[in-house]
Amino acid sequence: MTVAVEFQSVSRHFGPVKAVDSVDLTIAEGAFFAMLGPSGSGKTTCLRLISGFEQPTGGSIRIFGEDVSRTPPHLRNVNTVFQDYALFPHMNVRDNVAYGLMVKGMAKAARHARAEEMLALVKLDRYGDRKPGQLSGGQRQRVALARALVNEPRVLLLDEPLGALDLKLREAMQDELKALQQRLGITFVFVTHDQHEALSMADSLAVFNEGRIAQIGTPAEVYDRPATRFVADFVGSSNVLPPEMTRALGGPAQWASLRPENTRLAETGPVTGTVTALRYLGSGTRVILRAGETEIAALVPAGQPLPEPGATSAFAFAPDALHVMGGA
Amino acid sequence: MSRPAILPARGFADRLTGLFWRRPRLLLGLMLTPPLLWLGVVYLGSLAALLLQSFYSIDEFSGMVVPEFTLKTYAELLRPANYDVIFRTLLMSAAVTLGCAVLAFPIAYYAARFARGRWKAVFYLGVMLPLWSSYLVKVYAWKLILAKEGIITWAAEATHTSGILNAVLALPVIGGNSLSTSYIGMFLVFTYVWLPYMILPMQAALERVPTSMLEASQDLGATRAQTFRTVILPLALPGVIAGSIFTFSLTMGDYIIPQIVGNSANFIGMAVYQLQGTAGNIPLAAAFAVVPILIMLVYLTLAKRAGAFDAL
Repeated sequence: MTVAVEFQSVSRHFGPVKAVDSVDLTIAEGAFFAMLGPSGSGKTTCLRLISGFEQPTGGSIRIFGEDVSRTPPHLRNVNTVFQDYALFPHMNVRDNVAYGLMVKGMAKAARHARAEEMLALVKLDRYGDRKPGQLSGGQRQRVALARALVNEPRVLLLDEPLGALDLKLREAMQDELKALQQRLGITFVFVTHDQHEALSMADSLAVFNEGRIAQIGTPAEVYDRPATRFVADFVGSSNVLPPEMTRALGGPAQWASLRPENTRLAETGPVTGTVTALRYLGSGTRVILRAGETEIAALVPAGQPLPEPGATSAFAFAPDALHVMGGA
Repeated sequence: MSRPAILPARGFADRLTGLFWRRPRLLLGLMLTPPLLWLGVVYLGSLAALLLQSFYSIDEFSGMVVPEFTLKTYAELLRPANYDVIFRTLLMSAAVTLGCAVLAFPIAYYAARFARGRWKAVFYLGVMLPLWSSYLVKVYAWKLILAKEGIITWAAEATHTSGILNAVLALPVIGGNSLSTSYIGMFLVFTYVWLPYMILPMQAALERVPTSMLEASQDLGATRAQTFRTVILPLALPGVIAGSIFTFSLTMGDYIIPQIVGNSANFIGMAVYQLQGTAGNIPLAAAFAVVPILIMLVYLTLAKRAGAFDAL
């Protein structure tokens, strides 16, 4: 396995704020890697450390084995799709896409031909003469993608690439980005705060919390076996159970997570709770039980009878659904 | 008791607000009428009167204005003495505009990109403060600074750099007996007094360029110089043009600074002042006054054609 990006105890402190705190990370070549976390968790700073817009205050960053800690952004063979796309408003779409080739000194005819190829790749041929202001959000995003890919970067960085699009477009773009990445074989690193996006697109992901990586793994690993309470809570709104509750349910006296979709309402069980809320989800209804200080969400499939708010109910789950977490 | 769906009008203000809600254009009209009247009658009216006067001529024997349409007065502008005045004014305006642009850019760039909080306040204060004091006071202060016995001569002697100062003053045309009696001195004073009018629009334009756009340029491989030429400058150009309209037209119309600083060579503003005053030649004064307007129109047309307003 070739390593595309490697962080060795990388830190980026802004005064007293530890935006990125001693992070170790390896991203394999050809991976579709997601950095997932709430805002302020350090994921965007990590992306900017790879592109070179931030310099580490400690540690070293390698891209394909070369230490880039002292390399300015314009000399890194890495390109970025910016969150606001950052298209140049005074240039037409073709010149925007050809910009990276223009600053490298490629002749006009050659770079325009190449730009048209890239526009065809993102299905925007015939749009070359338009100005960015005349395009829709989804089209601008494709232009930004084509512009970042024109230099044939070894790593493509995407900062919340789908954040500004509406839901329908976002889902279509997810599939398209994934297909594009597989076709080009370029390493994609993308930042998102949307766990659905990270789980559905990435082949591996890092969950960030307070400047550190809480867990790295495949989407299935992170979803099924969250390493910490934070991960369990952030990825897929899991039930986070305190040690005494875990013990009452037949596990060790440790924090544990239990997915709502693995939890059913039952007549009897070791723990009972009061129904406090019902959330209709279309495919089913999420029922919130309160047992002492803990809230437990259970999924009732569509068509099955629902309890009244205020009713008392127990719950059940398959024994292997209870995931005991090591850390705090 | 049931609560009403419509609250009772409390008085005139409620009814007036209701009226404006039903007729949004009424409020707009009321607000715009006074300034439009002012602009339309006082400003455009006097401009029209000026234009009209410039097509009259003066009777050479009686010195009376002959209210008949003629291009004779405009032909007079092309006499060498008058043509020189126009050409000199134009060159000085261009030089001042260029000088202001070069000086203003780093300041405006710093203020737009880096200054935050307190430093932003310091910037605005620093730029605006000179505008609070009287223009005449500033010009006379500069005359003293630039005079032969002034602080610059003194500083040059103290640092043993009088040679440089003398070499500068020995330059043909723009040099002179002292800085305060040379075109260089006049250029310095003009640049000083009009600089804020260049900095502020430039800063406003630069502030509108998102940081991510500069990062995108670097990300795609551009050097700082390339980023400046292909991204910053085109996007800041409307601001630069706006600023240059101020510095250019203010210099062209000024008649005080050329009287106080410089070698008493005539400028358009001075010519207008003298012609309408002592000489009593209103038509020629009007014709002179039309020249800066025409030059500005040509300048704006060229700027538009060069794409200066594309990023607006």
